[in-house]
Amino acid sequence: MAELAWTPPPAIAPSSTILRSGVPYWLHSYRALIRWHLAGLRMWLSLLASIQILAGAGFVLGIGLFFRHIPATAALFVSTGVPVINLVMIGLILGPQLVADQKLQQSYDFVRALPVPETAAAGAWYTVCLLAGIPAVVVSLVIAEARYGISFTLSPAILPAVLLTAFTGTMIGYGLGHAVPNPTVTRLVTQLFIFAIFGFTPILFPARQLPGWLAAVNWWFPFGHMAVIVRAGLTSGLVHGVGTSYAVVAVWGVIGVVASAWALGRRG
Amino acid sequence: MSTAQDAVVRPPSLPVAARSGPGYWLGSLGSMMRFDLGQARQWAAIMVVIQVMMGAGMALMYGFFYPRITPTIALYISTGTPTLALIPLGFVMVPGNVGQRKLEGTFDFIWSMPVPRSVQATSTFLLYTLLSLPGTVLALVVATWRYGIHLSISPQIVPGMALCALMAVSVGFGMALAIRNPLVTNLIANALIFVVLLFSPIVFPPSNLPAWLSAVDRALPFYSMAEVIRAGLTSGIVTDLTRSYLVLLGWTAVGWAMTAWVVGRRR
Repeated sequence: MAELAWTPPPAIAPSSTILRSGVPYWLHSYRALIRWHLAGLRMWLSLLASIQILAGAGFVLGIGLFFRHIPATAALFVSTGVPVINLVMIGLILGPQLVADQKLQQSYDFVRALPVPETAAAGAWYTVCLLAGIPAVVVSLVIAEARYGISFTLSPAILPAVLLTAFTGTMIGYGLGHAVPNPTVTRLVTQLFIFAIFGFTPILFPARQLPGWLAAVNWWFPFGHMAVIVRAGLTSGLVHGVGTSYAVVAVWGVIGVVASAWALGRRG
Repeated sequence: MSTAQDAVVRPPSLPVAARSGPGYWLGSLGSMMRFDLGQARQWAAIMVVIQVMMGAGMALMYGFFYPRITPTIALYISTGTPTLALIPLGFVMVPGNVGQRKLEGTFDFIWSMPVPRSVQATSTFLLYTLLSLPGTVLALVVATWRYGIHLSISPQIVPGMALCALMAVSVGFGMALAIRNPLVTNLIANALIFVVLLFSPIVFPPSNLPAWLSAVDRALPFYSMAEVIRAGLTSGIVTDLTRSYLVLLGWTAVGWAMTAWVVGRRR
């Protein structure tokens, strides 16, 4: 008889008194997710930050070896291009791979089910990517200064340039990771990105060294423009007409946001 | 009494063929090559992509870094890219595949097959060496087309390239076997690619390097690969190859020694 007294738990969760909207809730979610990423990726992020620092230093020093005496312009382009790669590497390349891994390990749906606004999740991820990229940027610049005797002239424009470059890189990666259903395709596309970023986009060298058609293709992509705006914040007199570059990078940032919103907004 | 016991103890039918001797070894090699080729279908496409990127892709890419491409630079890039195309196969694909088998747990299965382990190693060496050749040739074709270089190809390119491919596969295989953790192998492979692309005088002359780095590169196999292949494609640039051949043979021996040590021991 005692068993009959047992009543099943309610099928619906008890209604929460917490309001899941509004600015305080958004900020709370944002902070919680930053903590979530930092805790979940602590090994991975610290390893990655060190690899980024080594790779950045390696590129700044290594490309100098291509030349018997590196021309001043080439040194300047490499030194101001490597920080751009540092900034987008985590958001653009490793972010999508991380999402792809979550899809493979079947933890993707769990992470998606966390009760946080999508914008807070995206914002937290952007912040983490930005913070993880900055140390490598600083180290690359310091090494470039020491190796090539370049003195950078930091202008206030560096701030929006860095923020926007990291934002667009992260958002393209975010959209890619979430919108592409097949993890293998994501992996392949990111590998192609790495290859393109180092060798086929005018980040580490001037666009005039590319064949004309490839330079024209690159105009439509954000990577060369990212280098232009970051370079404009680090040097004076080298870069002109940054307005267009800001616009192109911003448009790609918006494309990334729209792709992410579309992928995250639809029901699976 | 004793005859009845013998009848019980003796296994019912022993295999007739002896599992030793050159005939058995060669027969096993044929089967093992077929087995490995069958498996290669899974990753052959990815391998082609990697080889095209590292070979032909790099041939184009290095050129973009120079404001003006002098004939010397063009010659170095053209004759260096076949070496670049050979490297990922041995140093990345081989350890990657072995690592994947270890992670999947199929590595022990393959070792349990009734063929001599020396056959399994030989089959891997042969297969990868053969598979690396088309991408290498493609890299050379793209580079000569892009930079308009006329090469004087000498017959010594054949043994040179074969030795380079064999060395790369041997070291990659030995490394993958000797290092227990596949993640460590993967890390080493990626670090090697970085070193090869930026710090080894393959597509630029060693005189660009500081003396100490140049000395390190003379001990590592990559510069010697480039020298041997460059000597087969040009005349007059590379003069003394003895040291390069010795370095390559030395590294091949190291690879084989690592392989033999792991293959021979019992766990």
